[in-house]
Amino acid sequence: MRSGVLLRLYIAAVFVFVFAPIVTSMVFSVNSDRFPTVPLGHFTWDWYRTAFARPEVWTAIQNSLIVAACAATLSTLIGFATAYTDYRYGFRFKTAYLALALLPPTIPVVIMGLAMLAWLGRLGLSGTLTGIVIAHTVMAAPFAMAICRLRLNQMDAALEPAAWNLGATQWRAMRAVVIPFCAPALVSAFCLTAAVSFDEFIVAWFVSGLNKTVPVMILEILQGNVDPQINAIGTLVFLTSMTLVIAAQLLIIRRSST
Amino acid sequence: MPSRTDVYKYVWRLPLILWQGLFFVVPLLLMVAMSFWLVRNYRMTPDFIFDNWERMLTRGYVWNAYEVTFLRATVAAALASLIAFPASFALAFRVSETTRRWAIFFLIVPFFTSYLVRVYAWQVLLAESGPINAVLGFAGLGPFTMLNSGFGAMVGYMTLVLPLVVILQTFSLAAIDKNLIEAAANLGAGAAQRLFNVIIPAAKVGLILGAVFAFILSFGDFVSPFYLGGSKPPTLSILIIDTTKSGQQWPRAAVVAVMMIVTLFVVAFAAVGAAYGRRNG
Amino acid sequence: MSTSSFSLTRRGLLAGSASLVLSAPMINRGWAQDPTPINMLAWYGHAEPDMVAEFEAENNVKFIPKYYAGGDNMLALIAQSPVGTYDIILSDAEFVQQLNAAGYIEEMDASLFPFDDFWPQYQKFPGHWTDDQLWSVMVRFGLLGVSYNTDALTRDEAMSYNAFWNEKVKGKVGHFDWHLPSLGQISLLNGNNNPSPFDIDEAAWEAVMEKTLSLKPQVGGYFDYGGTFASLKNGEMLAMCGIGDWITGVLQKDGAPVASVIPEEGGIQWTESYSIGKGTTKHEIINKFIQYMLSPRGQVRSIQMAAYPGLSPTKSGWTAIQEANPAEAERSGLIEGHDQSPIKLLEEGRLFFRDIPQQQSLEDWNDFWSEYKTA
Repeated sequence: MRSGVLLRLYIAAVFVFVFAPIVTSMVFSVNSDRFPTVPLGHFTWDWYRTAFARPEVWTAIQNSLIVAACAATLSTLIGFATAYTDYRYGFRFKTAYLALALLPPTIPVVIMGLAMLAWLGRLGLSGTLTGIVIAHTVMAAPFAMAICRLRLNQMDAALEPAAWNLGATQWRAMRAVVIPFCAPALVSAFCLTAAVSFDEFIVAWFVSGLNKTVPVMILEILQGNVDPQINAIGTLVFLTSMTLVIAAQLLIIRRSST
Repeated sequence: MPSRTDVYKYVWRLPLILWQGLFFVVPLLLMVAMSFWLVRNYRMTPDFIFDNWERMLTRGYVWNAYEVTFLRATVAAALASLIAFPASFALAFRVSETTRRWAIFFLIVPFFTSYLVRVYAWQVLLAESGPINAVLGFAGLGPFTMLNSGFGAMVGYMTLVLPLVVILQTFSLAAIDKNLIEAAANLGAGAAQRLFNVIIPAAKVGLILGAVFAFILSFGDFVSPFYLGGSKPPTLSILIIDTTKSGQQWPRAAVVAVMMIVTLFVVAFAAVGAAYGRRNG
Repeated sequence: MSTSSFSLTRRGLLAGSASLVLSAPMINRGWAQDPTPINMLAWYGHAEPDMVAEFEAENNVKFIPKYYAGGDNMLALIAQSPVGTYDIILSDAEFVQQLNAAGYIEEMDASLFPFDDFWPQYQKFPGHWTDDQLWSVMVRFGLLGVSYNTDALTRDEAMSYNAFWNEKVKGKVGHFDWHLPSLGQISLLNGNNNPSPFDIDEAAWEAVMEKTLSLKPQVGGYFDYGGTFASLKNGEMLAMCGIGDWITGVLQKDGAPVASVIPEEGGIQWTESYSIGKGTTKHEIINKFIQYMLSPRGQVRSIQMAAYPGLSPTKSGWTAIQEANPAEAERSGLIEGHDQSPIKLLEEGRLFFRDIPQQQSLEDWNDFWSEYKTA
């Protein structure tokens, strides 16, 4: 199995690439240098202390969590409904419908920011968390749709009709057959869309006004006097969200094994 | 009177139409309208003039930026797909269900760190005085200038898109009916034949989706070309930001935005056509 | 039943996030007597603790900053927000007139501020007054010249803008990504110093464009604020056009071998000023804050601001920093007669206020800048 070993090494290399910047930022979050280079300075918690002594950092974390939770819930619901519609029904204008479903991520975030600010400003929602939730749901729903759709592809097309034949209503078949089958995809969709929202900063920056989310705060530091607080905030946020995701993952594994 | 079936049908169909209609289509239409507006004394007023269009479309630098952006996004999409495929293939066929689940999980992890934080980390890693050049230095190579170049920007694009591409590819590869591949093998198809005639066509949707997302995200990204590419040369997104920075010229930025949107729609439609077009097997 | 796994998981996630939010220290803190919030629109750093913590504690207020990235970004943010969103606005001096023309700021009471203490050159700053009406108060400024890596260039070499064309920094010249300072410097190099590098006729403008394009092969990138810091520090760029001590001063503190000088051809002055946002209800405390920032205490903080240092327009500010931190006063030339003292440079006609172009439109300059970047 030489090719197996090679493939495994290859996967490892891909993961090294993906994780290199994450690990780097963790390392530099406890490194004393104001502008990190090699060799490293000495170990310090200073950047954490500076960053988390600021109440506005905590406010930003709270804002981010609220926005991500709301946007992920809405996106997952919309995404699943859309994926199911695509799976189940053929109808006139379906192409247009699918276009509507899949096009939002094709709009560059900079443009989305511009357009959202113009529109939400008119609705009186610019500068509010609601505004960010709306924008993030628009952007994230297609990802939820994609994940759910891929899962539905795997569902035996005879499964649902079988439930109807057994006398189940469509609602009941949905509850008893489709949703359980899609559960892992729904969780993934929720996590991914929460992540999309959590990481999104351009639209949030345009729309947020004084209600900043964490990435907006990081963008401001990066545009301002780049400072390893970025790494400290980044690392803590990362660890927090990872804890949540691992908890979710363990929950699925435990539940799917019972 | 709508029947119960109709209610059921519309419960699933309408959320998307309502939400994306109100918060996606309308803002974009507003922006298209904005491209015809007038700016005077740093204030926009609704109007119907073609000056913004005429001005932007006759500027050489707009087209230069367009070319660079399109080219880079194409390269990024191809590169991401190629780099991702062997990994996705292995994850789909060569590892256990549990390993795959954890691998996918670890690919979602990066989404939970800020893209900005990761780009900032690359700035450190790729610097001439940075760790990578230090290691290469031991091997007697370099130092290489990696920041503020197309290479730097490409590293950034990969950071942005690679995990997503691997996820999408893996999902679609793992969904292939294994019997299909075995059947092909039994019929005497070699590894390459199985790959190109069975596996890739069967996973078409995910592969195309992955490439398209990579193209789209790279086409619109402004962080990597700015922070790792040194705006050298500027891409369309940087141009938009620059334009809004200059005297409230939002209508002109809207012109560039419309150019980008049209391009992306064409690409996306072509891709969706290719992915879902001939679905009869 | 696995039916409920999704909702359970989601509930788990929500519960987790909720408990995290509840455990955040901000909840436990500060409910006792709410400090008055003051919304500030400013460049990065102006509402950080090193600048405002003392004032916040003394007056039970809390600054809530929105940081912008450039004058036009600032105008856009105000334009898109309801009137009265921002109580106090810090802007670059050349944007005050536009803030005023757009009706975003309120008239100020000149008698409240210590203009007698200002150096005469700064008492009636251009654009801040219409006749005797005051719209904005200058609070700090800085000088833009040649910023360079001292391992790559000598001070003598840096004493002319020609340094940017030096072979030793080929491919390593960065631009701060804004046309006014960079083009202003090249205009100075072309000898446009009477009346100002920003007040030039068509022929001179053509020459500036040509000269600028000839710099292109030397250029390594275009950077915002943060990128400028990082690329000078990690040696990615060895010389930087369009900046000055506000960047290199911070890097020097961190031990980087960089410096800025005002070359023979002259330098450009950036200026930051406070204005009162239209529609605010907090005039009294804002005036008090501006007075505080202009006082010797405030000026010592402003001169040493962690984000980027700035110079003081007041005489008492100079005296105060000479006492509080003689090394910093020496380094930044805040001593009468010092060869890089801004007052001396102004008197010698080697320092020019950054401005918008007088004979071309801002658009022309900006257009050319875009062209230059893609060239």
